[in-house]
Amino acid sequence: MNLFLSQVSAIVWKDFVTELKTRELFSAMFIFALLVILIFIFSVNLSIVKASEVGPGILWVAFLFSGTLGLNRSFVLEKENGCLMGLMLAPADRTAIYFGKLISNLVFLSIMELFILPLFMIFFNIDLIEYLLPLLLVIFLGTLGFCALGTLLSSLASNLKTREIMLPILLYPLLVPIVIGVVRMTGQILAGEPLSGMMNWIGLTASFDIIYIGVSIMTIDHILEE
Amino acid sequence: MNPDAVEEKQEEGNILVWLTGFGLLMAMIGIFIYVPTERTEGVIQRIMYFHVPCAWLSFFAFFVVFICSILFLWKKDREWDIYAHASAGIGVVFCSLVLITGPIWARPIWGAWWVWDARLTSTLILWLIYVAYLMLRAQSDAGSMRARYAAVLGIVGFLNIPFIHFSVLWWRTFHPQPKVITNEGIGKGMDPSMLATLGLSLFAFTLLYFLLMGERVRQEKLKDEIDRLKREKLYSS
Repeated sequence: MNLFLSQVSAIVWKDFVTELKTRELFSAMFIFALLVILIFIFSVNLSIVKASEVGPGILWVAFLFSGTLGLNRSFVLEKENGCLMGLMLAPADRTAIYFGKLISNLVFLSIMELFILPLFMIFFNIDLIEYLLPLLLVIFLGTLGFCALGTLLSSLASNLKTREIMLPILLYPLLVPIVIGVVRMTGQILAGEPLSGMMNWIGLTASFDIIYIGVSIMTIDHILEE
Repeated sequence: MNPDAVEEKQEEGNILVWLTGFGLLMAMIGIFIYVPTERTEGVIQRIMYFHVPCAWLSFFAFFVVFICSILFLWKKDREWDIYAHASAGIGVVFCSLVLITGPIWARPIWGAWWVWDARLTSTLILWLIYVAYLMLRAQSDAGSMRARYAAVLGIVGFLNIPFIHFSVLWWRTFHPQPKVITNEGIGKGMDPSMLATLGLSLFAFTLLYFLLMGERVRQEKLKDEIDRLKREKLYSS
């Protein structure tokens, strides 16, 4: 178990060092998310529509779109110079590669989301501070589900000729359940409802996370195989 | 394959062709002549006898994809990959038919081509998932990689169905249920003659599935055979 953890942390560490050196992914994700929010603000008339009604949807679309950028990079980066081959040749379990990538994707996306939230608060004039804890929980659940399925499909799409195109096409229809769930939950939290009122959604999202992490563990061996 | 086996297979195929043709013919007679016109909805309601079997057939086909995908990853046998591929193709065709016949039926009855009702939405998402599945297959070259990737997607996609079902259901129940949707509860007070016609239609479509499946599988196997022969005779020298 200790060995497994050190393998996972080695991969996460490697991703962090690369990101700190190049700084290309995080800034791109952040600016892209900001742009998505701006474009949506221009496309809906906020003086007619209530900000707290359209806000959650816009926020999550921004998270998902910029998250897809991150996912696309995560395995394509490894394909360059044959790094993925090196990872697979290393005496580590394939699930360690999956978990390493999952954690680094999750952390990058979460940091980006933490930067986006204050801007969202300013642009939409919604006070998030009082709902911060339940909101962070919902964002974590949604992001985990997105990364669990996204990392699996990104490892799969990275071997295709048209990887950047195929990843969203494969991923988005499968994400519909959690997108509906998290948008609904975020909306209800911003409307001041307690978490106990949305247990069915929390259960759905959490079981989505668990099932897809499980499926990924079972199938990653078949994807990372040359 | 020896000639005897081929002939035997063709014989079996022929029986299935005749049976399916006969079943579909009987279903047509049932739908257009035998069954009485529904009182409130009128003649348009007859589309149900196509709509419901198409839906059943596409869900069944996707289930077959799921099972064959698991079996493929387990046994690593090309046979299961062919079955999954063939079934996904048939499923997408009939899912498209559901999405086409649905609005045709809905327009005069509900007054709208499309309503964001739970069942409609989940069918649309399902269609998108399996179109992506077929695209994935088209994008990658033949071989073990394509088969493995498709199998993973076949499993992931089917496991998504319960999530889609519940999320879409809860998504809409927060809103007042549109009145028109209740019209859909035709099954409750169905006349025996209608039930019989629907059953017949379901049976005929299921036969059609197996017929199409057999043809698609044969086609894929012939493709493999051609590839093999090409490699042997064309490139070896």
